[in-house]
Amino acid sequence: MDMNQYLTMFIDESNDHLQSLNENMLLLEGSPNDLSIVQVIFRSAHTLKGMAATMGFEDLAALTHQMENVLDLVRNEKLTMQDFIFDTLFKGLDALESMVQDITEGGDGKADVSEIVTSLQAIVRGEAPSTKGSGEDVKASTSTSAAKINTAIQLDEFQYSVLNQSIADGHRVLYLDIHIRENCQLKAVRAYMVFDLLERSGEVVKSSPSAQDIEQEKFDHSFSLYYITLKDPAELESQILNVSEIDKVTVMKLDQESLLQMCQLGLTSQEAAAAVEAPSKENSSQGAASQADAKEQTEPKQTSPAAEAKTPAKTGGAAPSRTIRVDIERLDVLMNLFSELLIDRVRLEQLASEVQNHALTETVEHMSRVSSDLQDIVMKLRMVPVDTVFNRFPRMIRDLAKSLDKKVDLIITGADTELDRTVIDEIGDPLVHLLRNAVDHGIEPIAERISSGKPETGTVNLRAFHSGNHVFIEIEEDGRGIYRDKILKTALKKGVVTEEQASAMSDEEVHQLLFAPGFSTAEKISDVSGRGVGLDVVKAKITSLGGQVTIYSTPGKGTNFSVQLPLTLSIIAAMLVKMGSEKYAIPLSSIVETGIVRKEQIRTVHGNRMIEFRGQHIPLISLSRIFNIKDFDENAEAETEIIVIHKCERLAALAIDEFIGQNEIVLKSLGKYLPQIKGISGATILGDGQVALILDPNVFIK
Amino acid sequence: MGEEIKVIVFKLGSEEYGIEVDKVQTIERMLSITRVPKTYTFVKGVINLRGVVIPVIDLRGRFGLEEAEYTDQTRIIIVAVNEMEVGFIVDSANDVIDLHTDRIETPPEVVGGIKAKYLDGVAKIGDDRLLIMLNLSEVLSKNEIIQLESLEE
Repeated sequence: MDMNQYLTMFIDESNDHLQSLNENMLLLEGSPNDLSIVQVIFRSAHTLKGMAATMGFEDLAALTHQMENVLDLVRNEKLTMQDFIFDTLFKGLDALESMVQDITEGGDGKADVSEIVTSLQAIVRGEAPSTKGSGEDVKASTSTSAAKINTAIQLDEFQYSVLNQSIADGHRVLYLDIHIRENCQLKAVRAYMVFDLLERSGEVVKSSPSAQDIEQEKFDHSFSLYYITLKDPAELESQILNVSEIDKVTVMKLDQESLLQMCQLGLTSQEAAAAVEAPSKENSSQGAASQADAKEQTEPKQTSPAAEAKTPAKTGGAAPSRTIRVDIERLDVLMNLFSELLIDRVRLEQLASEVQNHALTETVEHMSRVSSDLQDIVMKLRMVPVDTVFNRFPRMIRDLAKSLDKKVDLIITGADTELDRTVIDEIGDPLVHLLRNAVDHGIEPIAERISSGKPETGTVNLRAFHSGNHVFIEIEEDGRGIYRDKILKTALKKGVVTEEQASAMSDEEVHQLLFAPGFSTAEKISDVSGRGVGLDVVKAKITSLGGQVTIYSTPGKGTNFSVQLPLTLSIIAAMLVKMGSEKYAIPLSSIVETGIVRKEQIRTVHGNRMIEFRGQHIPLISLSRIFNIKDFDENAEAETEIIVIHKCERLAALAIDEFIGQNEIVLKSLGKYLPQIKGISGATILGDGQVALILDPNVFIK
Repeated sequence: MGEEIKVIVFKLGSEEYGIEVDKVQTIERMLSITRVPKTYTFVKGVINLRGVVIPVIDLRGRFGLEEAEYTDQTRIIIVAVNEMEVGFIVDSANDVIDLHTDRIETPPEVVGGIKAKYLDGVAKIGDDRLLIMLNLSEVLSKNEIIQLESLEE
C-alpha cells in the first residue's frame, strides 16, 4: 500500500499532536491534579499511536504506547504525577519528536527507545527510579497489580470471555509472573520447563511475551501469563519454584471482578490499536479513504470505556477548525503570479497616463484598487502566527531553567501576531539564542536574586506586536542587566575596540558591542550559551531578513532585546531614483527624508564630504562613484538631490540625480550566477519592462 | 558508443561553436540590459526575460577575446546549467545541426584563443568547418571567476 500520500498529513498531524502534548504536559506540571488535562494528553498520545501504527512506524507506536500506559494510570487515579514521571514523559516526547523529525527528513523513524521504554515500564510497575528492580510491591494491591498486568498482557475479547467463562465454571484463573535468574544461561529452556509443567495441569491462555518469543529467547528474565487450572495456587507456586534457576514466582488468583477491571484497562489501548488496524486495511483496498477517517473511527471507541469508568470527561478538543492545509509551494506560485500582475499594473498605469483616455484611466484605477486588495489577501495567506515558533519555547525554558537550577517564568504575549512564512522559518534559531541568553546570562541564580531583593522566580517576557510595516519581537527579562564597564573590559581585552574608542562610546554603542563577532561576556563558558559564536550570528541572521536588533538595558533591573522584522520579504515599498541613464530602487524603510543641497553646503572633513542635516553633520555618499556611473556626476551640478538614509540611529545622505517616485516593487533575485554584490540586495522589474537594481542602504553606513 | 545529438551553432568572430540543444532554453535578440556595477567586466548586466531576472555575460569577454559592437545579428543564448540561468551574448546564432558524438575529438591546447578546459572537444563538420563544443559548467565555473577576480585586482 502506498502510504506516501498520507505521509505529509501524518507528519503535519503528528507535529500538531506532539505540540499539544508538550503544551498540555507543561500545563499539567503546573497543576498535577487536574485530571481533565490528563484526558487531553491521553487522547493526543492515543491518536498519535494509532496514526504511527497505521503508517507502520513501529518504534514510534511502541514508545507512545508505553507513555499512554503511564498516562492511563494517572487518568484512572492509580498513579499520581511526580517529578520523575514528568521528566521521563518529557524525555519520551523528545524521542518522539526526533523520530517524527527523522520521518520528515525521509528516514524510517526508527530509534532506540529501549531505555525510555524501560523507565516508563518501571513507572507503570509503580517503581520509583531509585528502587529500580526491587519489584517487592507487586502483591501490594489488586489495583497496582492490575495496572501491571495492563502493560504486561493485553487480552483480546475472545481470551477474556474464555477466562470469564472459566471463572463462572468454577475453575481457578491465575495470573502468574515468573522471574528467571539473571545469570541463567538457557532461559528459554527454563521457560519451556515452566510451560511444560503448567500445561500438564491446566491451560495457558495468554502469555507475554508470546510463547514463540519465549522459545526464541526474546525476553528479559521474566514473563507473565494467564493460566486456567484446578490446582491450588500455593502448590503451583512451589512446583514452579522447583524448576531450577527460577528466581521468583508471583501467583495471583483472579475473580470475575478483578478480571474485568484488568481487561478494561487492557482493552482501552488494545481495542484502539485493533481498531486502527482494521480501517487501515480498508484503506488499502479502497485507497481513497483518508487516514483522518481511520483516526475518527478510532476515537469514539477509545473514549467510550474510559468515559464510562470515569467522571464525564471534558472534551478538550476545540471546535472544528475552518482551515485547510495548503502546500507552501502553491502559495509561492500564487505570489509569483501576483507579482507578474503587479508589474503589468504599473505598466498599465503608465500607458493610461500617456494615452489620456478617460474610460481607460478609470478602468485602470479600479483595477489598481482591486489589485491592492488582492495584494493584501495574498500577503495575508502567507502570514503565519508567530505562535508556530513561540510554542516550543515554554518547554525549552523549563528544561533550561531546570538544568541551570534557576526559576524562570516565561510570559508570552501577542503569540497571534502574524509574520510572513519565510520570516517565520528563519526567525526561530535567533530567538532560541536570545532566550537562552536571557535565561543563562540575564536571570541571576536564585541566591543572587534573593540577596538583591528580587523575587526568587525570574520573569522572561516574550512579546510580539505590530507597529507600522514591522513586527517587533521583544525578549525582556528582569535579570542583572548589562554593565557598561564589564562589556568594555571584555571588548578591550578581545581587541574589539581601542581604549580611545571605548571612552567615546554611547551606552547604545556599547550594547551593540555584544553583537560584535567573537564577543562573549560570560565569564564561564556554559553549555547553554557563551560559546563566543552567539550574538553576532543572531544579528547577521536578523539583518539578512531585513530586520534589526536593539538592546535596552538598565543595570540591575534587566535587559530588553528588541527585534524588528519586516512584515514581508517579497513586495516592498521603494523610492525609484535615476542616476544618469540608470534607475535604482531604494527601500522606503531605510529612507528618512529627501532633499536638495547646494554645492557650497557640502564640506570636506578629513577628506570625507559631509553635509549638515538637522543640526548634525552626516556623510554625503556618492553613489555614482561607488557604482561607477558614467553619465552622472553630482560634482558637476550646482544643486544635487539627496536621500537621507538611516541604519539604526546613524544617518547618511546619498547623492542622486533625479527622483522618479514611490512604488511598490517586487523583489527578484539576481540569479545564482552572480556573486553577492556589495550595496545591491536584488533587482525588480519596472513598469516599462526594464530591470532596476535595489540598493541595500545599510552597506553604505559604516 | 556514441549517439546523435542536436547542437546549436553560434559564432564568435570567425569561429563556430556548439552547445547541446537541451542546455539551451531560448535564443533572444538583443534586449535592453541593466548594468550591474562592481562585478566582472564580462558580465554585461541583467535582463528581464518574461519576468525572470537573468544575468548576461559577453562570451567574447569571458574568453578574453576583444569585445565587438552589437549588430542585428547579435543574439543572447539563454542556457541553464547546474540550476543557474545565464545569457551568453554571441555574434550570431542561426543553425541547429545533428552531430554524432563519435565525431567529437579531444581539443588541442588552445583553439581560437580559448583554453582547452572550456571545451568539450572539436568536431569536424562538412569539408572545412570546425565546430568547437563548449564545456558549459567550466565556462560558468565559480572557481574560475574567483581566480579572475584576484587577477583583476
